Amino acid sequence: MTGAAQRDAADIREEWLGRALSTAPADRPAAEAAISHLYRLIGLDPPRFHWVASPLAALETVPPGLRPRNTEKIDRLDEWPVARLLAADAERLRCDLDGAIAKRFAGLDRLFRRPIRDSLTASGDGTLKRAVQGTGGIGFRSRNRWYGLMCVSWLAYYDAVRRAAGDITGPEAGRRLGLWNAAAGAAGWWWPRRDVCTVSERPVALRTEVWGDDGQVRLHSAAGPAIRYADGWDVHAWHGTPVPSWVIDDPGVDRIAREENVEVRRCAIERIGWPAYIEEAGLRLVASAPDPGNPGAELRLYDVHRGTRALLAVNGSVERDGTRRRYGLTVPASIDDPVAAAGWTYGLSGDQYALLARRT
Amino acid sequence: MTMTLASLSEQTGIAVLDHLEQSLAIPVIDGLQAQGDLLVIPLRVVAESVRVPGGAPWRDVPPEGVELLRAEAGGNPHTLVADPGTCRWTRRTGDPLAIGVFEATAVTYLVHPEHGASGCAPGAYVVRRQREHDRDRWGGTRFVCD
Repeated sequence: MTGAAQRDAADIREEWLGRALSTAPADRPAAEAAISHLYRLIGLDPPRFHWVASPLAALETVPPGLRPRNTEKIDRLDEWPVARLLAADAERLRCDLDGAIAKRFAGLDRLFRRPIRDSLTASGDGTLKRAVQGTGGIGFRSRNRWYGLMCVSWLAYYDAVRRAAGDITGPEAGRRLGLWNAAAGAAGWWWPRRDVCTVSERPVALRTEVWGDDGQVRLHSAAGPAIRYADGWDVHAWHGTPVPSWVIDDPGVDRIAREENVEVRRCAIERIGWPAYIEEAGLRLVASAPDPGNPGAELRLYDVHRGTRALLAVNGSVERDGTRRRYGLTVPASIDDPVAAAGWTYGLSGDQYALLARRT
Repeated sequence: MTMTLASLSEQTGIAVLDHLEQSLAIPVIDGLQAQGDLLVIPLRVVAESVRVPGGAPWRDVPPEGVELLRAEAGGNPHTLVADPGTCRWTRRTGDPLAIGVFEATAVTYLVHPEHGASGCAPGAYVVRRQREHDRDRWGGTRFVCD
């Protein structure tokens, strides 16, 4: 891929990522108009609209006026007649577009599939979808067809191809794509029942970090929730892992000791920082040794809990204030020697690691 | 020619943090060197576990260098730089911890904005990532990202 094409792909991706992670209030008339058109497209009258402040509200509440025996249960979303018809229509649209691209623009597919479509799918999975899954969101299966349509990745991919190649399948496909674009650009996720369509507002706050080479993002916030909606529903997350709020707001060694989920415990320790955690938790020092290649620095090995030890090491390069940052790494409990522990982190023996000439 | 962090930074266009020592010669070493979460290991040290297959795709290190590992969370990359025609590298190593293997006929440098530069004497090297123990994860380990 040429540098210019890479930059184009990255620009288009960022534009769509901005749309997917927007915290702007929904444009309700625009969303309702686009969704109404999509209903007409499958031969149905436009629905009533029921607006909610968050996906959680959409999952946990039933729209007013819905018959109690209504068969459109939230955990059977993929079986809802309207969702099935819309998904089938979108599937046909995608087949048409993919066919045209394969025949005439295979080079563009190679250019945009990974950096745009795959990247945005991963970002969607790592943000909004992750937040809803973290609640144990009702009947939320990860490969749910409808939620796949709610992710902007497919729309972004066709948008990129269209920008590079112009019109790819004619006005009818363009119109249908335009309706999905309009719906995605105007509001949060939506849930289409026969008579009423529930539409969610976007979050009011969203904090993410880039983690992948293709600009993939995930939820992360070291202060307050990573995602928050106007109704108060929020999710805290540490480098992509949803965690209880105490991990971010009030992490402490007692809570960490009581926490049974290893992943949550690891996040909480990282939030405090290993050096402070080792001190506050009073971990037992197993052994210490000079750090090869890092003059004046020491490797210290501690017992953490059954099956795991922590190696406390010192950065080879100085921070701006002249100090050297200390950091902790977990190692198997079968290792007793700090130098062997450091070697293990690189797949080396202690003797091999002792050959280290310089650390920066 | 003696290379300093300042001259390397100017030559490659890779900005390094200004509090790092800029004017001392970068040591050129033919042994193990660590740069943050990466370790440069002479191939001979780990020759038993690293086997570059015969059909591995080797590439010349281009003038702008090769980003061996881009740090997570919008962090900084480790970039391998070499004079044109003096260094080739491949990611096909058959080693689960290795990012790649490079072979150089002249001095090569691994540069990182926060860690500065490591000079590698001519030779063949494996670059490995650092891992940590995580018994709940497949394989019992996860990669470290500094």
